[in-house]
Amino acid sequence: MRIKHLNIHLRITQTNVFTAADLFSVKKTATVSRQRMSSSLTCTKLTLCTVSAVLVQIIGLSLFVLGFFPVKPALPGFSGPESFRPPGCDSVEDQNVSNLRPDQLKSLYQELYEIPPSFDRLILMVIDGLPAEFVLGRDGRPPSMLIEEVMPYTQSLLASGMAVGYHAKAAPPTVTMPRLKAMVSGAIGGFLDVAFNFNTQALLDDNLIRQFFNIGWEMVMLGDETWLKLFPGLFKRHDGVSSFYVKDTVQVDYNVSRHLGDELNRTDWNLLILHYLGLDHVGHIGGRSSVFMGSKLKEMDEVIKMIHLSTKRRQDNDQGRTLLMVVSDHGMTENGNHGGSSYEETDSLVLLVGLKPKSYDYPLVTHSTIHQVDIAPTLALLFGVPIPKNNVGKLISEAFDSLTDDQLLRKLELNSWQLLRLLQVQIHGLTCANSCDVLSNDPGITECNGGDQEMLCCLFAKAVALHKSWKSKRVSRSISGDEHHKTLLAYDDFLGAASKWLSGRATYKPAGLLTSGVAAMVFSCFVFVGLLFRLDQEVHPCKIYLLSDVRDIVHNWHFDETYVLAIIFILVLSMGSSSMVEEEQYIWHFLTSTFYLVLLRKTFQSLVARTGQSFTTLIKGQNRSSYIQVFSIILILTTGRIMRGWHQGGVNWAHLPDISKWLGQAGRCYVKPLQLVSWVLIMSLGVYSLFPLQSEKYFAMIIGFTFLVSGALVLQHIIEYQDTSFADGSNSTVQIIYALLGVSTLGAFFCLPWLIPVPNPKILSVHTGSLSSNFLADLRMKFLVLGFRDSIYVIGWAYIHHWCLLQLLLQQPTNSMPVLFLLVQILASMYCCSKGGIHLKQWVEVAGLYYLGLAGHFAFGNTNTLATIDVAGAFIGISSHSTLLSGILMFIITYASPMLALLSMVMYMSLKETCGLVNAQEVDIGHFLKMTVSFPCLVPLGLNSIVLVAYTIVLLLMRNHLFVWSVFSPKYLYVCATTVCIYIGVSVVCLTAIYASLVFAFRSRYAAVLRQR
Amino acid sequence: MAKKKQQHATNGSDTVPSPSPLPSPPPSLSPSPWQAFLVHLISGLGLASALGVAHKVYSVNLISDPIHTLRLIWVFEAPIVILIYSLLRKNPKQCSYWKAVGRGILALPAGAVVNALGAIALGAPVGSKYFLKTLNWSLLMSLFTFVPAASVFGSSWTDWIQLFGHTKPSGCIDYMICLPAHGAVIGAWFGAWPMPLDWDRPWQEWPICVSYGAIAGYLIAMVASFSFVLLRSNRQHIKGE
Repeated sequence: MRIKHLNIHLRITQTNVFTAADLFSVKKTATVSRQRMSSSLTCTKLTLCTVSAVLVQIIGLSLFVLGFFPVKPALPGFSGPESFRPPGCDSVEDQNVSNLRPDQLKSLYQELYEIPPSFDRLILMVIDGLPAEFVLGRDGRPPSMLIEEVMPYTQSLLASGMAVGYHAKAAPPTVTMPRLKAMVSGAIGGFLDVAFNFNTQALLDDNLIRQFFNIGWEMVMLGDETWLKLFPGLFKRHDGVSSFYVKDTVQVDYNVSRHLGDELNRTDWNLLILHYLGLDHVGHIGGRSSVFMGSKLKEMDEVIKMIHLSTKRRQDNDQGRTLLMVVSDHGMTENGNHGGSSYEETDSLVLLVGLKPKSYDYPLVTHSTIHQVDIAPTLALLFGVPIPKNNVGKLISEAFDSLTDDQLLRKLELNSWQLLRLLQVQIHGLTCANSCDVLSNDPGITECNGGDQEMLCCLFAKAVALHKSWKSKRVSRSISGDEHHKTLLAYDDFLGAASKWLSGRATYKPAGLLTSGVAAMVFSCFVFVGLLFRLDQEVHPCKIYLLSDVRDIVHNWHFDETYVLAIIFILVLSMGSSSMVEEEQYIWHFLTSTFYLVLLRKTFQSLVARTGQSFTTLIKGQNRSSYIQVFSIILILTTGRIMRGWHQGGVNWAHLPDISKWLGQAGRCYVKPLQLVSWVLIMSLGVYSLFPLQSEKYFAMIIGFTFLVSGALVLQHIIEYQDTSFADGSNSTVQIIYALLGVSTLGAFFCLPWLIPVPNPKILSVHTGSLSSNFLADLRMKFLVLGFRDSIYVIGWAYIHHWCLLQLLLQQPTNSMPVLFLLVQILASMYCCSKGGIHLKQWVEVAGLYYLGLAGHFAFGNTNTLATIDVAGAFIGISSHSTLLSGILMFIITYASPMLALLSMVMYMSLKETCGLVNAQEVDIGHFLKMTVSFPCLVPLGLNSIVLVAYTIVLLLMRNHLFVWSVFSPKYLYVCATTVCIYIGVSVVCLTAIYASLVFAFRSRYAAVLRQR
Repeated sequence: MAKKKQQHATNGSDTVPSPSPLPSPPPSLSPSPWQAFLVHLISGLGLASALGVAHKVYSVNLISDPIHTLRLIWVFEAPIVILIYSLLRKNPKQCSYWKAVGRGILALPAGAVVNALGAIALGAPVGSKYFLKTLNWSLLMSLFTFVPAASVFGSSWTDWIQLFGHTKPSGCIDYMICLPAHGAVIGAWFGAWPMPLDWDRPWQEWPICVSYGAIAGYLIAMVASFSFVLLRSNRQHIKGE
């Protein structure tokens, strides 16, 4: 890095511009640009357009996100005895349930239920990925003969009425964990719930397993270890198997079945969960019609047979009744995949075995369709525990056929109360619910219509009224079967409507919101691109006059410019493929490296063009700078390649070796020296960069001192504390570092423009003093420009340097080297652009920096899955748990690289010869700002807006895709976060520039006034 | 852009020392379409025969054994390319045939280094496991890109920059070198795209699909270069008449 020469060089070029020979042409240019300017963008107009486009984009984005990922309020806490009272009168008697022992709680529940539980024990057998079609057939047709043959026992159970089977519709995402949650909690989680629970996988909402645990049930789990992640510590015995080895279809199920005989003979459990993964694995390997499918189904049939025979034996010996519930969490497509929302994937099975056999007069061929969430209330009511709070399902009525009329109505009532409670949370002011008051409603309500709210109210009131009248009539013994039937139907209507409304809330995507959101984003994208286009048109012509090889610039087709645009389009195209989204790091590295290779080629061009022209010493000197340019591009490419190798990243090839894995194995003795090396290099780059300010010694010393102090503290932290995270002493050190970095950054921002010494205007005016008629204006302009550049240069360095130090502190130790590399890349890129060897348009240079930042994002180990977010780092230096603070830290860690690239724009502005500003005959801050700030701000905004719009449309198109929840939605969250990052970065850049230029405008006016005296 | 290129091309033809359309000028300066066709045909046939030999004699192909196959291809192709393009060397008077051959032989490893570095910069895997693959691939790429230019132009820096820096071919021979070289590089660039996909196909491994891309690009560009040469010669004929 020859940063030292940089500023000096710039000053030289600037004075060159003002030599007498140039002056004529400069004046001509000024008039030309003035004319053009009057008819086009002014600074205010530009700012207004940009700000309004940003606002429109924010509004559009939030509309879309709200529409696409509805946030459903989940009730905290667990249902208790209050669920046996009608909603609205909870405060009558508030027993402190938490003090009760499990057995006391159990008897309390039983007392409140007024009904003894129908079963003593539950066996929940989950067959992962079994489509209900295999067992029950489709569209009223029995399953294919082949399958009927391999599951003879189950089919015979169904045929004899010993078992009832249902098609249970599962809600997307049809992957195991959310489906299990839905089964045990009865709630349909939104995507954002999944996304925001990144720090714990345990299910914290109200659920059946917790309810069973509370009443003292002993539970055993065999199979998929997802259960253990969801309910840590609740199982008495468990044998978890991993679903990671998809190729294994035999061992994974054997590990479950081997315990089965033993467990069935034991009596010390109330709930046995069996989760068989094998069938899902068979599907993943060979699809629905895999050759292994038959034998796997046969194996499952054997298990069902074994369990059923054993429970029957126990029942015959009067050892208690056991319910076997066979469920599948989701179905599978023809190819064996799942995750999306097609019929094949959402068609899951519920099979209840062990109910009292009903004598069917006719063979049961039609099987009704229920929802997967109906499992939770059914089980809760069957076993006498409160229904989980967030349940949106309704009970499966066939499961309660053995109950008497009043018992059945009681169950329906409990389910209705629970749903009504949930409705009251979702619809504010649902007033119909004062059902603890005696309802004087006339039971003769026949039809309910109106809005959702009124209709739900009316249905509930009708059911309650019928129930009441039925009860009173039963006391007076004037009961009729007809009335009971009517009450049942009324409850059923309410439950159906409420359940539909509630589950619709969770998956409903309002088309209006989505379209208006997309439209707003498209509009703002057009505004950004249009602004960029006009700016380019405007800035470009004025540049021509300053450059010698005019014809080359104007008439040549520029591959680099086309390629910069092509990068965005290739990226957008590739985003349509799920595996490209998963492996985005390859794309970024490939495209960015190619961009710099293109630049390298261009540098060679200019190198030779010059040697071909002439061999004067001046040109030779410039040729040397071309060689340095070549060197810096090669440096960018090399460091980029090392960064690519640092983290393998992605999903499919994540297991391949990379440098960070190697370092992790090698241990701390290798990591620490690397950290120290990167610290030393970052510090020395930081201090070295202040050398151009040599003329102002004090100043450089003060700034260098603050750099050093914060650097030293970071070093101390690295050496002492990073091994032992969360030590007491470390917190205070880290907090001091945060404070120091924050104060010195803010100090640099506010004070530097005022304090920075500007070279004496007298010296500067030597060249132009005799020539220019409006001498004062020139002087002021120069004062403005030079001072602005100097201060922006130092402020930019302070930003970059402090950001890097912060990253050294927060990032994982292995990531310290990529921080250094990224810094080197960005500096090299800026250096390469600021030298005059290759003439790139400004937007190309800014885009190059921006791409470096985005490629670096993946070099820090980030991927497009939420799993790679560094959660541990987000608690460094935070003494008390605060979601906001750790969220901010997490953002800082995750977006380290794009933010660094954006912050470097401040320094970039100071290195750039912004043309046009020197042409202005009077101090025109607006024009000056437009020329300086517009590209570094507008280019990231514009490029990002294109990606955002394209990706939004991709997400909409893919909403029924298999991987919409596992791949596309997390990626969308990253895209949104990148957008936020760009807003922050761009606002920092433009605020800094505006503030500094205003200060200098003021200072130059003041200096001019002084001079006049 | 196309217009500009044509303009430049006509300018280039104006600077050709002898304006006579007769086949009297040395054959190296503007090879006839027939010659161009022959050169391209022989190179293409060389490739095809190498692949054929690999398949028939050694019963390997790019997918089953990329190292062996790539080595076979470049060993087959190298003498063909060097010998043929040396015939078309630029200053046949000052530079003997064998000197041109020597230049071509020297350029083979040099170009391989450049190609390998470029591929690694773009993300080709590094490691002892991949060394032979990268080596053989880059030797093949060197044959497509560097060796013809070295045989024809030698160390004439301006010609190299004209062709590879600016991509401004002016004469027939320029087209015959420049287009296939660019075609091979661009083909290899596009050939790398399927690599990160999760299709679990054996050909997604490093250098297989890249080699396929390079070969395809090379072949297509040879056809293109032949048609350019044909076009130019037609125009020259018309101009001459």
